[in-house]
Amino acid sequence: MYDDDRDALAAEYVLGTLSADERDQAEALLVIDPGFAEIVRVWERRLGELNVMVEAVEPPPDVWDRIKIEVDGAERHITAEAEAAQSPIEEAALPAIQEAAPQTAPETTEEVTPEVTPQPPSEPLPELLSELEEGPEAAPPEDLDESSSVAALASSLLPPEPQEAERPSSPTPAPATPKIERSAEVVYLARQARRWRGFTVAMSAIAALLAVFIAVSQLAPGLLPMGRLSHLAATAPPPGSRLVAVLQQEPTAPAFLLTVDPQNRTMTVRRMTASADAGRSYELWLIPSKDPKPHSLGLVGAEEFTTRPLPADFDVPAMSDARYAISLEPAGGSPSGAPTGPVLFTGKMVESMPASPTPKT
Amino acid sequence: MLMQTELVWLLGAVARGDEAAFERVYIETRAKLYGVLLRILGRPALAEEVMQETYLKVWKMADRFDPTVASPVTWMVAIARNRAIDIVRKRGDLSIEEEPDAMEVASDAPPPLARREMTEELKRLLSCLGKLDPEKQRIVLLAYYSGWSRDQLAQKLDIPVNTIKTWLRRSLLEIRECMGDRA
Repeated sequence: MYDDDRDALAAEYVLGTLSADERDQAEALLVIDPGFAEIVRVWERRLGELNVMVEAVEPPPDVWDRIKIEVDGAERHITAEAEAAQSPIEEAALPAIQEAAPQTAPETTEEVTPEVTPQPPSEPLPELLSELEEGPEAAPPEDLDESSSVAALASSLLPPEPQEAERPSSPTPAPATPKIERSAEVVYLARQARRWRGFTVAMSAIAALLAVFIAVSQLAPGLLPMGRLSHLAATAPPPGSRLVAVLQQEPTAPAFLLTVDPQNRTMTVRRMTASADAGRSYELWLIPSKDPKPHSLGLVGAEEFTTRPLPADFDVPAMSDARYAISLEPAGGSPSGAPTGPVLFTGKMVESMPASPTPKT
Repeated sequence: MLMQTELVWLLGAVARGDEAAFERVYIETRAKLYGVLLRILGRPALAEEVMQETYLKVWKMADRFDPTVASPVTWMVAIARNRAIDIVRKRGDLSIEEEPDAMEVASDAPPPLARREMTEELKRLLSCLGKLDPEKQRIVLLAYYSGWSRDQLAQKLDIPVNTIKTWLRRSLLEIRECMGDRA
């Protein structure tokens, strides 16, 4: 069972009220955490029916032409990719391929044949279909009046869209709406709790089973199918990536989200559920892959978000390669420069295939 | 409008690369998706762009569609809204002023949906929404239909953002309890 914080995050993600940073974090969770993806799907189903109230508006006819061109281009690029699927780094070149495709795609604007009605597949869909036809088995709500009044409110909030004719004749070009697809490269870090060499570890039940996930959410064009994420996981993030680490003790309760923004050279720790006892502080540590000596990244503040500059002595590949840990220290942090209290979260990279996350857009 | 069941198997055909089926799906769903996008994005040029991205995604990901989880239109609207909201957020919410002011309730607002047009799912959701205080109903609906962030809701409704945050959380968790369909 999920806690309310996570459920509320999923709900607000679906509703759309989160800020850009929070959406990044939710999307990282989506990719790495099948449990979170599941509650997002539930919220999509719960709230999704509201679209019924939105007035349909016919899009301009050329939208289909453009979709058709892109679809033809996409097929091409999938094939090309399958042939050269060796180097994940080549992903960076995909946008170019995609853009070039339409020009070389033959008969892209072939006249459509709306009458075409494909024959039903002879596959075992019927069971699902009959289920759907019977509709939800849930009993109808008793309180129909309430639903009517909400429907009226919804209608009042939904003024009719301007008709086609009223559209501005020269639509303002969308400023900076790059056709950028944020995709996520995922590294799943999981490992059993371990003790650090050279410091006393207070026995802590919390430190039993720990998992750290890092998701590299990449600002890059191209639609990166989720299934290939694991191939990309181990490579250094390309410029413009963001790194997100989810530090949690058990799969259902993330305690901290660490976001690294290489472009602005900042990192942000967000508290999810963890709260320190009075008089203790959480301290964040980076353990480089080559030299297993923890480097302090400072204390996690009492606020929900703690943002600070990236440490000067680590480059981004080193940061994406490193492990992270949070220890419980005396107020003000470790007096010795190394963790002295119980280490609550740590982990080592292993690859993982995300379990079919909710479609990301 | 096609039967939902037909759209389900059309999407199945799309998953196998059937372009004719894809075109049927487009024809049946385009106006709904465009309506949703236009309301959130405000600008036709932008809405058209997201239409393209959405249908390309539908083409590529039709095999992930699971009819036991959502109806085809709900699934597609979720993809479209999600992308639209990403764009609006990345823009930094800077264009609040340019956005269509959905708060100006049009005098000729469309009549409430006839009961028979409502799906059971929708009735259930509306009934749960109806149990919330009116102003909370309003923020949930405005967030869904206009794609407003907490900050925008606060600004437009002149309510402190922390209040919005609390209300949203509480409202959504109440909806969850009311609908009784936890994961």
